Amino acid sequence: MADLISLLLFVLCCFACFRLSFSDSGQANSFESVPDLENSMYIHIDGYPCVRLLNLSGEIGCSNPGREKVVAPIVRYKSADELLESAAILVSIYEFEILLSRLSKDSDFAGKVAGVLVESRTEVSDGLKGFSPDGKFPQAEFAPYNSKNFEWNPTGSGIMWMAYNFPVFLLSETSTSILQEVVMKNEKTKKFNTENVAEFDVVMQTTKSGTHDSDSCLKEETCLPLGGYSVWSALPPINILSSQKSKPVILAITSMDSASFFRDKSLGADSPISGLITLLAAVDALSHLDGLDELNKQLVFVVLTGESWGYLGSRRFLLEADEHSDSVRDLNLAMTETVMEIGSVGKGLSNGIKTFYSHTTGATWAMNETWHALQRAQDSLKTESIKISMASKSNPGVPPSSLMTFLRKKSHISGVVLEDFDTSFTNKFYHSHLDDLSNVNSSAIVAAASLVARTLYLLASDQNASAINAINVNASLVKELLGCLLNCDPGLSCKLVKHYISPSETCPSHYVGVVLGEPSALPYPAYVSDVSRFVWNFLADKTSISSRNTSSACPKDCKGVGELCIREEADGKGVCIISTTRYVPAYSTRLKYESGSWTVLPYNSSDDMSAVDPVWTESNWDTISLRVYKVQNAAYDGLILLLGIVVTVLTYLLILITSTFIRKALKRD
Amino acid sequence: MTVAAGIGYTLLALGPSLSLFIAVIAKKPFLILTLLSSTLVWLISLIVLSGLWRAFLPFKTGSLWPCTLIILTSVAFQEALRPLFWKIYKLEDILDAFADRVSKPRLFITDKMQIALAGGMGHGVAHAVFFCLSLLTPAFGPGTYYVEKCSQMSFFLVSAVIALAFVTIHTLSMVIAFNGYAEGNKVDQYFVPAVHLIAAMLTLVNLAQGGCIIGIPLLYIMALLTMGHCGKMVWRRLTEIRSRQGSSF
Repeated sequence: MADLISLLLFVLCCFACFRLSFSDSGQANSFESVPDLENSMYIHIDGYPCVRLLNLSGEIGCSNPGREKVVAPIVRYKSADELLESAAILVSIYEFEILLSRLSKDSDFAGKVAGVLVESRTEVSDGLKGFSPDGKFPQAEFAPYNSKNFEWNPTGSGIMWMAYNFPVFLLSETSTSILQEVVMKNEKTKKFNTENVAEFDVVMQTTKSGTHDSDSCLKEETCLPLGGYSVWSALPPINILSSQKSKPVILAITSMDSASFFRDKSLGADSPISGLITLLAAVDALSHLDGLDELNKQLVFVVLTGESWGYLGSRRFLLEADEHSDSVRDLNLAMTETVMEIGSVGKGLSNGIKTFYSHTTGATWAMNETWHALQRAQDSLKTESIKISMASKSNPGVPPSSLMTFLRKKSHISGVVLEDFDTSFTNKFYHSHLDDLSNVNSSAIVAAASLVARTLYLLASDQNASAINAINVNASLVKELLGCLLNCDPGLSCKLVKHYISPSETCPSHYVGVVLGEPSALPYPAYVSDVSRFVWNFLADKTSISSRNTSSACPKDCKGVGELCIREEADGKGVCIISTTRYVPAYSTRLKYESGSWTVLPYNSSDDMSAVDPVWTESNWDTISLRVYKVQNAAYDGLILLLGIVVTVLTYLLILITSTFIRKALKRD
Repeated sequence: MTVAAGIGYTLLALGPSLSLFIAVIAKKPFLILTLLSSTLVWLISLIVLSGLWRAFLPFKTGSLWPCTLIILTSVAFQEALRPLFWKIYKLEDILDAFADRVSKPRLFITDKMQIALAGGMGHGVAHAVFFCLSLLTPAFGPGTYYVEKCSQMSFFLVSAVIALAFVTIHTLSMVIAFNGYAEGNKVDQYFVPAVHLIAAMLTLVNLAQGGCIIGIPLLYIMALLTMGHCGKMVWRRLTEIRSRQGSSF
């Protein structure tokens, strides 16, 4: 007995000597509680999902195939050919398009794909020439001309318009490195009993309820229509009490929404946010002028949303103008002389010269006037090396833009679209998550804003160029707007945005979203997106005349004619000003909101665009999440259960034997 | 992992206790009471210890000297409690007096050993619940967890196996200890704390890379040692009684 103990102590000492260097390297995982352990077991992955969208004829986008979560081991795309069972494929952005096109052709392979994880791009200059999931002629069905095969977007692959029966996630940078490690571990240690799996929870309500198009899902209330709130503002504010005849209107329009394969990563830096920033900067420059009341024409700025999804903003705007509804009250669109649209202008910098192209609709008097104004504006900005050219005559017409819908509605309207490209998009990342801040140039935007501001002034003052050199664009405002609208840092928490609103999120996203509640000219602020509210407040502020009631509480005492309360959210108090700035709901002209639900109206022959309107809706969902963890295979689990049962039973038998033995030995009890 | 594996781990750690409960303890209500109160006392002792050590947190987990210190103090505290526990359970005298009053036979040696067994099992169950069962909830979910330093077995399997060893050691130690206090046998009295201390120190071997492959078998050697010593002691006492019975005839 004593010998045994001394032997044991000796062995222990030996081990202690050899193992004195207890390594603390490796994971320093310290758990303070069981929830900590669980959090370490199940790694939550940050990602941007692709969701299910529906139209009148079917679905697009991605979703879990049923009601259950999808659980599959993670493999790299390279080793996907050796797949025996279904797996989640980790793919880089280069291979993404190849993978998707292969899935549509090879149904055997498609059966093995349980989910797709797309890595984020590592380096800006990594040689990716272009990636555009939109088509080669985006929204060709709305074009006012017949050549629907013209390739405005040659990089376009069209993958975002197809339906996929599995979840697809775009990973953030940190998640990409986590998953690359996990895949390496999976490949290195091919243990027979464990593997790392990804669990996708992208269960869409329309899949659960079996509604596969907009009509049925709106009836069942398993989806909501895409839409938002456009903003229009007049400079100077329209004085409805004045007895003056209403002036002709110069309309300057742009859009503020983009689209991408991944719902929450639609930045649209070049297309169209560069145009939005140009317009905002131009309004700011013009607002500092004196004598705006004496201008011969009325300047009206319109920022539309929903343009990427069937031109929801512009079509609804025109419809409401026809119906003289509340949101477009005081604006007489029939008096419109010219429409100037600011498209993508962020890439207009080549060899130090800021080059822009004017795409027009024909040679009318108004067009000549506009071209004349553009040239004079360019000349006045000689030191800035700005060049404006007419777009090529071989183009079939205007590029994909809101002007297309204006032309479809009123074909005699004269309009011009200002873009940074001539015959095809210079933006190689059109409607993709890669159209971000690095894809635009702030000096191009400043140049475009200067050009637009001076051109608008010349048009509004009938080419009387007295104050033209006083119009200067604030370059730091442009930089600030770029940081606020196209970056997560500072994002919407930047000073400029917080001056007007309290944003609900910091990282900006320009996906139009769905229409919440009933669309109206005076929407509930929580139902309007951050960017729309910011644009409304910004334009109202810049086009305002200060009210006599500045010191009074707002909005209580701010109910006078033409009075608006701005900055209500930011301060809690608000400032009362006089301005003509309104929200216009943006949603399909084929939808009607009635007693709490949406209905699809029958095709109306007077509105010929409604025939091609897809009526986009987005499925509802509970949660969307992605996590990664290690699993043991079922056989191993069964083995453990068996082991537990065997140990219990064996112990019971041993105890019975021992107690019988003791009893026999004592011959009693 | 899944519910099957979760149940498997639970049975691995506490199955033998369950068997012992059904086979021996459930038959006599007094033993059930002993078991419950023993579990309570030892759980409280662990809570008191964790309360005392809370003041010194946080320190780098996995570092050798703080762990050694914690183990030393905890074992010392629990071993100091053991004789106290025995003194309280010297109910034998009370029970014997009660038996005399109702003219029933007094406590036999096997009865006293069963009380000790129940007390020891309470200690073992408290240990298993505190150190293993409380961590097993995630084991019922779909995922599993492997510690870097012991990549051969899942974390839950390691903790269940170690808990089983300690349940065995604690259950049988109490029998040895009670007998040692009753007889005044110094070997038995010192054997129990020594085994407890060595077993606890052996868990430190798990801190090393791949240490669990060595630490766990060594721990089971200690458990088998305890089992052997207990068996020897029980056999010795029973033969003593039998010979006394024989000589009295």
